[in-house]
Amino acid sequence: MSRLDRWFEGMSRQSARRLSRRSWLSRFGGVLVGGAALPLLPVARAAEKNKLGEDGVKGREGDPRRCEYWRHCAIDGFLCSCCGGSHTACPPGTEMSPVTWIGTCRNPADGIDYIISYNDCCGKTFCGRCMCNRNEGERPLYHWYRNNDINWCGGAKTQTYSCSTAVLVKAAKEPQPEK
Amino acid sequence: MKRLPFAVGLLLLALPARADSYEEHDYILNCSGCHRMDGRGSRTVPSLLDMEELRGKPGAREYWVQVPGAAQAPLADARLAALLNWLVKRFTGQSPNPAYTDEEVRRLRRTPARDPLAERAKIRDAKVR
Repeated sequence: MSRLDRWFEGMSRQSARRLSRRSWLSRFGGVLVGGAALPLLPVARAAEKNKLGEDGVKGREGDPRRCEYWRHCAIDGFLCSCCGGSHTACPPGTEMSPVTWIGTCRNPADGIDYIISYNDCCGKTFCGRCMCNRNEGERPLYHWYRNNDINWCGGAKTQTYSCSTAVLVKAAKEPQPEK
Repeated sequence: MKRLPFAVGLLLLALPARADSYEEHDYILNCSGCHRMDGRGSRTVPSLLDMEELRGKPGAREYWVQVPGAAQAPLADARLAALLNWLVKRFTGQSPNPAYTDEEVRRLRRTPARDPLAERAKIRDAKVR
């Protein structure tokens, strides 16, 4: 025990003799600023591509707060994950519409198509953040069951559209016929 | 223990039948958006549980193919016939007898119901002889 004490004492006395307090401050400041600037380097942005996100998908396609998220393949609206809710839950004060439009998206991690339900959240004025309009496999109004310009809040208590979720129902047996 | 191979054989027979059936997949993708997973519908969409009212009534069998949601679904005739056999059994408790065939579905869906709710009321209220 005393040997450890003596070693630490020696180390701290040595550093006290060699380093000024200002030198420590300048280095500490350097670490703070440098650390914050690290993600600006291209290296850090390249690493983001390999970050494992939701559903075992890497990069932006695995981030539910981005339009590129794989489940958003046919969405048209504001992402609830940017509006105080998540990709599966409505923000406080809104109600999930019981009627919805349903399609399939392919998960790039396992290559399987999944049935996705795009339930709208209704009851508050439109969110206005993270607009995402991808419409893959969407059809014109005369195919109303696969159209996302309809106000799907029609089945909820109030018809005011706020934002959209992307709920995974189950694995599909095949992609939807429009793809 | 003697029954074990028999049970395994039964299970093996059941497996491909389950894997090949598209009924539930087709229901989720083409019906459940509005009629919902449990068929209850909503304020604006009719409940599939009410199909029981029409069970066995003349014209009901044809009507169920001719409602716009079924007749215009993006499904081939054979797949729609299979879906309807599954759906009628699920929501009325009785399989259609005889089962829908793709020929019957092809013929009926050519003339979709123009005024589904009025036609439904007519079938429901018809006097049974």
